[in-house]
Amino acid sequence: MKLNRRHLLAGTAAVATAPYLGGSAAAQTRAETLRYVTGATVNTLDPTMPGSTREAFGVSVNVYDRLVSFGRKQRDGNWVFDIDNIRGEIAEKVDISPDGMTFTFHIRKNAKFHDGTPVTAADVKWSYDRAVSARSLAAAQIGTGSWTKPEQFTIVDTHTVVGKIDKPDRLALPNLCTLYAIVFNSTLVKKHVTPQDPWGQAWTKDNTAGSGAYTVESFRPGEQVILRRNDAWTGGVDGKPAPFRRIICQTIPEAATRASLIEKGDADLSIDLQPSDIDTLVQRGRVKAISTPQFNAFSMIAFNTKMPPFDNKKVRQAIAAALPYDSLFKAGLFERGAKLYGGTWSGTPTDASFPQPMPYKQDVAKAKALLTEAGFPNGFDTFFAFNLGSAAFAEPIAALVKEALAAINIRVEIQKLPDAQISTMVTERKLPFFIETSIAWLPSTDYFFRTFLYGPQRWNYSGWNDQRIADIAEKARFETDKAKYDAACKEMIAIMAEETPIVMLWQPNQDAVMPKNIDGYTYGYHRQVDFRDVKRT
Amino acid sequence: MSATLRHTGYILRGNPVTLVAGIGAALLVLIAIVGPSIAPYGPTVSNVPQALQPPSATYWFGTDQLGRDVFSRVLVATRLDLAIAASAVSISFVLGAMIGAFCGYAGGRLDRWVGRFVDVLMAFPLFVLAMALVAALGNRVENIIYATAIINLPFYIRFARAEVNVRRNSGWVEAARASGNSHVRVVLLFLLPNVLPAMAVQISLNLGWAILNAAGLSFLGLGVQAPTPEWGIMVAEGARFITTGKWWLVVFPGAALMTAVLCFNLLGDGLRDILDPRMRT
Amino acid sequence: MSLAAGIARRAGRRALSSVPALFGVIVFTFLLMRVLPGDPAVFFASGPNAGQAEIQMIREQMGLDKPIPQQLLLYLKDIATGNLGRSMNTGQPVVTDLINRLPASLELTFTALLFALSLALPLGILAALKPNSLIDHGVRFLCSLGVCVPTFVSGLLLIYAFYYILGIAPDPTGRLDVFAAQPPVVTGFMLIDAAIAGEWESWRAAASQLVLPAATMALFVLAPLARMTRAAMLAVMTSDFVRTGEALGLSRRRVVLVYALRNALLPVITIMGIVFSTMLGANVLVEKVFSWPGVASYALDALLTSDYAPVQGFVLLMAFIFVLVNLTIDVLYGLADPRVSIE
Repeated sequence: MKLNRRHLLAGTAAVATAPYLGGSAAAQTRAETLRYVTGATVNTLDPTMPGSTREAFGVSVNVYDRLVSFGRKQRDGNWVFDIDNIRGEIAEKVDISPDGMTFTFHIRKNAKFHDGTPVTAADVKWSYDRAVSARSLAAAQIGTGSWTKPEQFTIVDTHTVVGKIDKPDRLALPNLCTLYAIVFNSTLVKKHVTPQDPWGQAWTKDNTAGSGAYTVESFRPGEQVILRRNDAWTGGVDGKPAPFRRIICQTIPEAATRASLIEKGDADLSIDLQPSDIDTLVQRGRVKAISTPQFNAFSMIAFNTKMPPFDNKKVRQAIAAALPYDSLFKAGLFERGAKLYGGTWSGTPTDASFPQPMPYKQDVAKAKALLTEAGFPNGFDTFFAFNLGSAAFAEPIAALVKEALAAINIRVEIQKLPDAQISTMVTERKLPFFIETSIAWLPSTDYFFRTFLYGPQRWNYSGWNDQRIADIAEKARFETDKAKYDAACKEMIAIMAEETPIVMLWQPNQDAVMPKNIDGYTYGYHRQVDFRDVKRT
Repeated sequence: MSATLRHTGYILRGNPVTLVAGIGAALLVLIAIVGPSIAPYGPTVSNVPQALQPPSATYWFGTDQLGRDVFSRVLVATRLDLAIAASAVSISFVLGAMIGAFCGYAGGRLDRWVGRFVDVLMAFPLFVLAMALVAALGNRVENIIYATAIINLPFYIRFARAEVNVRRNSGWVEAARASGNSHVRVVLLFLLPNVLPAMAVQISLNLGWAILNAAGLSFLGLGVQAPTPEWGIMVAEGARFITTGKWWLVVFPGAALMTAVLCFNLLGDGLRDILDPRMRT
Repeated sequence: MSLAAGIARRAGRRALSSVPALFGVIVFTFLLMRVLPGDPAVFFASGPNAGQAEIQMIREQMGLDKPIPQQLLLYLKDIATGNLGRSMNTGQPVVTDLINRLPASLELTFTALLFALSLALPLGILAALKPNSLIDHGVRFLCSLGVCVPTFVSGLLLIYAFYYILGIAPDPTGRLDVFAAQPPVVTGFMLIDAAIAGEWESWRAAASQLVLPAATMALFVLAPLARMTRAAMLAVMTSDFVRTGEALGLSRRRVVLVYALRNALLPVITIMGIVFSTMLGANVLVEKVFSWPGVASYALDALLTSDYAPVQGFVLLMAFIFVLVNLTIDVLYGLADPRVSIE
C-alpha cells in the first residue's frame, strides 16, 4: 500500500506536466484578449467526434476553415448569419453549373495551414472523403445536402476541386458551409493514422490541423481553451487577420457568477446568462445585450403521438387550448424571444416560412369541450418531463403547465430528469409530453419538417409520422420552383397546425452580453461565437 | 422520572442555548403541523403578473418568479422538510440499531460480513453516493429519504454494534438468558434499551444534517420536484437571483433552513449533556 | 525499533484488510452506474441528425455492447493495469483527468482544513477552559452557525459580498487568475509550484483565489473540530497528570498549552482524518460554485450525463484516499501513543 502511494505521487508529477505547458507565455495585454465565459465545456478539438459539445463546435469554427461560408446580414438591427449569401473562405470562387449539379471550387493561392504549408485540392478531397466516410457526426449532416460518397469529389488540379450531385439540392452548398465540412491539413493528420483509425480521429480530438483564424494555445478539457491569433490568416471579409490576438474560452458553471464577471468588466462576452438577469444587467448600464431571437430554433411542448392518450388528436388539441401562453412566456423566458403562438391565421398560413406563430391561444372552455369529445371528461393522470440542465427556465414552465392542466382535470406530475436519462427516454419514446428546444443549422421549411416532424430519429420528438408530410417534404426538397415550394410548405404547416403533434411556444433569444466597447457580434447558425467578427472599439 | 425532569431543568437553567434551541425546535414542529392552514396564499398558486415583487404588506416575504407568495411557501415547506429529515433519520436509526445490535450480539460470520459492508459504505464519498442513489432511483421524496438514510446507516450500525458487543457477556445479560429468554428477546428487550439513549443524542444532530443534505441535492437538481415547496429547492432557485438583487428569494427560505438546522444541532448538543452525564464535567 | 516494527505490522494488516472494501466499492459503483436510467450512448450521440448508427457507434466505443458481467470483468482487468477508461465529457483518459484535478481538490481541502483548525483549536480550548460559561455558549453558537448554512449559499454570498460588492476578492473562477502567469507544473499544487519557480506574483494570485472557497469549506467543518477539541480538552484537564502539574506550581499557560493540549490532540487527529476524507468527497458544491477544477465537480458532471468511467474512477480514488488517510492516522496514533500498538 505504501509503495502504491509513492507511485501515485511520482505519477502525478510526471503526467501533470503535459497539459500546463506554455504557461509563462501568458503575459499578453488585456486589451488584445477576449475573455469569453460559458457554462458549458469544450470536450474535443474535432467537431465531428461523436459526443462533441456545442462549445466544441464554437472553437472549431475559429480554428478550422471551410471552402465556403455563410455571409451575414442585418436583422432588426443585429448581425445574423445569412444562408442565402454564401461567400468563399478557402475557396476564392465557386462556379455552379446551370443545372445546379456541379460545383467547381477554386482554392485561394495564398491559403496556408497553421504549419505554413499551402492548402491544396488534395487536402480538400481528403477532408471531404473523411466527412462522408469516417464514423463521425459529419456524414449524417452533410448527407442532407446529397453528399454521401467520396466519388462525388474529384481533384482537377492543385487549386481546383469539383463536387457533383445527382439531383439539384438547395442544401448542397449550404451543407459545405457547416462546421462538419472543415478542411484538414491531410499531410499532418496522415502522420497519425493507424490501421484501426484510418482518418486519424484519435489524434484530431486533442490536436488541430487547420488553416483558420486561430490556433489552439492550450486546451484543458472541461476548464478552458486558449486560442491565439493566426497572423497569416486573411480569410475574413476584409482580408485582415482576426481583431483579437488571444481568446480565452473559460467554463464557469454558475450563471450568476458569469453575470457578475461580465458586469465587473472581468469578462468580455457570454451568450448563456439567465434570461431573468439580462434586463437588470442592461438597466444598471454597465453592459449591453445583443438579443437575437434564434430564428432557426424553436421551443416546444412535444406530445408523444405513439403513447395513449396523446395518440388522440383531440387530447393534443385540448392541451394546446389549455396552455397559458402569455404566462409561460413571461415566467419562463421573461419575454426574451419571439412568440410562436397566437398566430392570426386559420386553415392555411399566409406565408411559407417556418417556424412561424401558430394559431394557438388559451381557451379553457374549448379545451374542456375537446377533452370531453376525446372521451376524457374526467381528465387523466400523466407526467411532464424536462431536462435538469434547462431547469432555470423549464421548472417554472412545468409548474404553470401543471396548474393550467389541473383546470381541465388533467393531473400532471412533474419530472426533472438528468440529461442522459431524458435523452434515453425521449429516444425510447417513454415520455408522454415534455419541453424541448430544437435547432436547425440550415433553416429551410422542408428541412425542419424532414428533421423534426417526420421519421424515426430522436429529433422527431413527437414520433409523428404522417405520410402526407413525408410525401410533400421529399418532393419539396428537390423543388426548384419557388411558388410550388411555398405552396408545399404552407400545406405542411396547415397539416401540422391541425394535427398538433407539438405545440410551438417561442424562439428564445440568444442574449449576448458584453461590455459596451465590444462590437461586431454575429448570431451564427451554430449558436456559438464566431470570434473573427468580434472586436473591441 | 421526576429526578430526570429535575435534572433536565437544572441543565437547562445552566444552558440557556439549549433551552432556546428546544423552544425553537418545538415552534418548528408546531409550524409543520399548522403551517398549511395558516398560510395566507396557496403555496403553488401562480400569479404571473405579480412575479418577483419585493416584500410588502401584501406579500410579507415577496413573491417568486411565478408570483407565488414566498411566505406561504416557506411556512408550508416546514412540514415536508421536517418529514424528510425525521423519516430519513428514523429509518437509519431503527435499521442501524437493529442490525448493529444483532451483529454485536451474535458475532461470527454474520458480524464479519456486515462489517465488510459497512466498510464499503464508509469508504464511499457519501454525498456523491447520495447523488448517485437519487439519480438511479429517480428524484422523488421517498428516494431522497432512502439515500439520506443509507449514508447515515454505517454510523448507527457501528455504534450499536460496539455498545452491544461490550455488554453481551455481562452478568445481567447472562441472567436474562439463563431465565429462559430467547436471543431475540435478549437483544430487543434487554440490550437495545440500554444502548438507545446514547444513540438518541445523535438523532438530533443528524436531523439538521439531513435537512442540509436534501438542500444540497436540490441545488444540484436531484432534490424535491417543483412546484412542491421545500426550503432547499427554494434556496437553490433563489440563489440564481442573487446578482440581480432579488435577495428575498434566497434570504427567507435560507433563514428558515438555517434556523431549523441550528435548533437541531444545538438541541443535540444539549441533549447529550442531559442524557449522557459522563460527557459533562 | 520494535515499536516501528509493530506499527509497520499493524499498518500492513490494516492495508490488507482494506482490500475487500476497495473491491466492494469498485463492484458496487460499477453496478450502481449501470442502474442509472440514462443511456450514455444516446446522450452523447447528440449531433444534429444523429441516428441509431451513431448511438451504436458510441455504445461500442464505451464497451456497452457487451453483457454486464463481461463488462465488469473487463473493467477489473483494466483497473489492474491502471486504466480507468475514458471520459466522454472531456474526451480524455480518466486517469489523466484525475491526476490533473486531484491536486486542485487536495490543495483546497488542505487549505480549508488549515483555516478550520487555526480557528477550531483556540475556540475549543477557550470553551473547555470555562465550561458552561458565556464564552462556551458563544463558541458553540458560533460554530453551529457555520455548519447550518448550506455551502452553496455561503459560497454564493461570500462571492456576492467580497467580489461583487466590495471588490476585494479576485474573480471566483478557478485556481489562478486567467491573466496571471502559470507556474511550470511540478507537483500540481499551485502554491508549491509557484514557490519552486520563485514566481511570487503567481503565488499571491493563486493564494487569493483559494481564500473564499477554503473559507466556505472551513465554516462547515469548524463545528465538529471545535466540539471535539473542547471535549478532549475537558477530559484531559481533569486527569491526574494535569492536576499534578498544577499542584507542582507550573504556570497555567504551560499546563494547558504543553501538557493538556498535546494529549488532547489525539482524538482531534482522528476526527481530522474523518473530516478530511468527508471534505474531499463533499467538495462538489463548493467546486461548482467557485468553478474549481477539482475531482468532485468532475464526477458530478459525469454523473448527470451517465458518463460511467469518470464516476467509477472518482469513487475508487476517494475510497483509496479514505483508506490511506485511515492508515496514516493509525501510524500517527501509534507514534503518538505507543500503548495503542500493544493491544
